Amino acid sequence: MAKSVLLISRQAPWAGIGAAEALDIALAAGAFDLPLSILFMDDGVLQLLDQQQPQALEQKDLSANLQALPMFGIEQLYVAQHCLTVRGLADNPLALTAERVDDQRIQQLIRQHDYVMTL
Amino acid sequence: MKFVINVLSSSNAPATRRALRFAQAVLAAGHEIVRVFFYQDGVLTASNNLVVAQDQQDIAKQWQAFITENKLDAVVCIAAALRRGVLDQAEAQRYQREAVNLADGYQLSGLGQLHDALQQADRCISFGGE
Amino acid sequence: MTTLHIINAAPTQTTQLSSCLRVLSAGDGIVFCGEAVQALRAGSLAAQQLQGIDHSCKVYALEEDVLARAIDAEALPVTLLDYPAFVALCVAYSRVSSWT
Repeated sequence: MAKSVLLISRQAPWAGIGAAEALDIALAAGAFDLPLSILFMDDGVLQLLDQQQPQALEQKDLSANLQALPMFGIEQLYVAQHCLTVRGLADNPLALTAERVDDQRIQQLIRQHDYVMTL
Repeated sequence: MKFVINVLSSSNAPATRRALRFAQAVLAAGHEIVRVFFYQDGVLTASNNLVVAQDQQDIAKQWQAFITENKLDAVVCIAAALRRGVLDQAEAQRYQREAVNLADGYQLSGLGQLHDALQQADRCISFGGE
Repeated sequence: MTTLHIINAAPTQTTQLSSCLRVLSAGDGIVFCGEAVQALRAGSLAAQQLQGIDHSCKVYALEEDVLARAIDAEALPVTLLDYPAFVALCVAYSRVSSWT
């Protein structure tokens, strides 16, 4: 059985290329049909914010790549509810369908995967 | 046990020195390194254009020596390398750039090589940040 | 199926430590290296946070980083590691999670 990866994405989408490079790891796993889940945590939860205007910063829209995840077979998407809450986004709609998870569920997710990779 | 070592910071970051000392200890303990993967600013470690002051440790050079001496599989993510100006002969030609600066012992390839290594390995450890 | 967490940023700079502590499972370990060892300074806010972790979780620190920063690691229940011991820990735990 293929070994699984939990990718923890912790970078804000406007803080340089980190978030996009984390996402590329996920897309590559999808391209090779390998099991990978993404957990958005810390400032990474901001990637899921609706109504962003990255073009104001002359930046490419990361949400297009995020939307591509299911097409690449990456469907296990999670977002840390606590991290949304402390950023005042507890009830905000998300630009992507991701399961809101509490700390206990995150502990489980870590234990359920062979590798954890945080970027 | 089989390790993948993921280097995410430039050779100026303490994390990249730590990664090297860790990798050396992995081999010294009789374990195997399936692949060292250089991603994000880690790709800068593979540049042969770095010039380090004489009274400072040249971690990039030490990494290269460690890789060549132990014939390690050292893959540098091609997309991350291109955007940071680390090019091999083929890419310099393709993009019509003068400098070829990928050090010997490294090869440019895709992120698939990271996943391929993970499938073969037992442990993956990343060194990034400071 | 325990996890070895690796922390390398100062607790006063990032949320690395607090995020790691939130998702620590029983039996997990934490290795402090680089600036993260600042968390081991007795009396610091981070050191207080560490006192509260589950007793089944072990705390380790890279000895070179502790020595370099003149930290008195005796004040906390922390095991100091050289690189061979660090490697051995990565083998002993089921997975390694670097909070880069």
